[in-house]
Amino acid sequence: MIREFLVWLQRDLGKGAGDSAQSWSEALLGSLNFWSLLEGTHLLSLMLFAGTIFIVDLRLLGITFQRTPVSVVCDRILPLTVAGFLLVVLTGLALFYAKPLFYYHNVWFRVKLIFLAAAILNVFFFHSRVRRNGEAWDIDTKPPRKVRAAAAASLASWLVVIVMGRFLAYDWFECGKPIPYWANVAQDCRASEGGAIDLVAINSLPGHQP
Amino acid sequence: MNLTETPAYFGTALMTTRAKLVLIALAAGLLVATTLGIGQAVAHHAFAAEFDGKAPVMLRGKVTKVEWINPHAWVHLSAVGTNGKAQAWMVEGGTPNTLLRAGIDRNSLKPGTEIVVRGYQSKDRACTPICKANGRDVTFPDGRRLFLGSSGTGAPKDGADPTDK
Repeated sequence: MIREFLVWLQRDLGKGAGDSAQSWSEALLGSLNFWSLLEGTHLLSLMLFAGTIFIVDLRLLGITFQRTPVSVVCDRILPLTVAGFLLVVLTGLALFYAKPLFYYHNVWFRVKLIFLAAAILNVFFFHSRVRRNGEAWDIDTKPPRKVRAAAAASLASWLVVIVMGRFLAYDWFECGKPIPYWANVAQDCRASEGGAIDLVAINSLPGHQP
Repeated sequence: MNLTETPAYFGTALMTTRAKLVLIALAAGLLVATTLGIGQAVAHHAFAAEFDGKAPVMLRGKVTKVEWINPHAWVHLSAVGTNGKAQAWMVEGGTPNTLLRAGIDRNSLKPGTEIVVRGYQSKDRACTPICKANGRDVTFPDGRRLFLGSSGTGAPKDGADPTDK
C-alpha cells in the first residue's frame, strides 16, 4: 500500500497532458538547479543540526564545557539545533519526493529511517524523563549515568543516520543487480522495477564466471 | 558565581585525561573522514567506489534513452560489440546542470543518435540488468567531442576533462 502511494507520488501527481509531460516529482529530479540547491541545503543544515547536538551530547557526557551548567549549554545551543532540524527535515522530505521509489527500495535508507526513529524517540525520552530532575545535576562536571547513556545513544544514533545517508549515493545493493539474498529481502526488491536477483543463485549457474 | 564568565576551554587543566583522549580520537576521526572526502567534494560519489579506472570502454551505438536526472544523468545506448552483437549499456554523466554547461542538453542526445562514448566500466562487470559505465566523453556524428562527466570525482586523468590539470 505504501508502495502504491509512492508510485502515484513519483509518476502521477502533477502530471499534465501529452507524451512528454512530467510529474512534479520527475520535474524536480530533472531540474537544473533546484535539486542541487536542495541537496546542498540539506547537507549544510545537517551540519548545523548535528554540529550543535553533538556539543550538547558531549557536555552531557562530561567531555566538553564541563564548567558550564547543562541548562546554559542547552538553552543557548538547542534553539540552533531545532532550526537545523527543521531545515534538514524539510529539505529531506523534498529530496525524498524527487525519487520516492528509489529510497523505498534502498537498504541504506531503510536503516537510516530506523535509526532516525530511534534518535527522535531518544530526544523525547531525554526531555520527558531524563531532564526532569535536571537541577540536581545541572552543574555536575559529569552528569549521572542515565544522562550520559541518553547522550551516548543520541550521539551514536545520529552518527548512524548520517553515515547511512552518505551511503545512499552508492549503488552496491541496488535492486535488479545480483545482490545477497538478505539485501533483496531487506529492500523488498521483488516488488521493485529492477526485481530481485540472488547473487548466490547467479554465481552457481553452470559456466558462470564471477 | 557568575558561571557565564568562567567558560571552560578545550585544553584547560580542568579537562580529564580521558576527555582529552576522546577529543583526540574525535579529531583523528574527522581528519580521516576529511582526507577520504577530498576528491569527491564536487561529485556526488567517488569514482573508485563503483567504477574501475583500469577498465576503459569505448562504446559505439545508438542512444536508446536518456535519464536527465540529478545527481547524475544516465545515457542508455545499444552498443555494438566486437562480436557484432548489440549490448545495452547505461553510462553515467554529470548533473543536468554540468552537462548543459559542457554543451549537452536533453535534445542533443535524442534516441537514435549515433554516438561514441569513452568511459570506464563498473567494478562489478555484472551487466545485470544492464552494463554500466562512467562516461568520460561523448563524440557526436558531426565530430564534436564533449566532456560527459563531472570534475573531481577521482576518475583517471585521461584528458577527457578540460579542467584537469
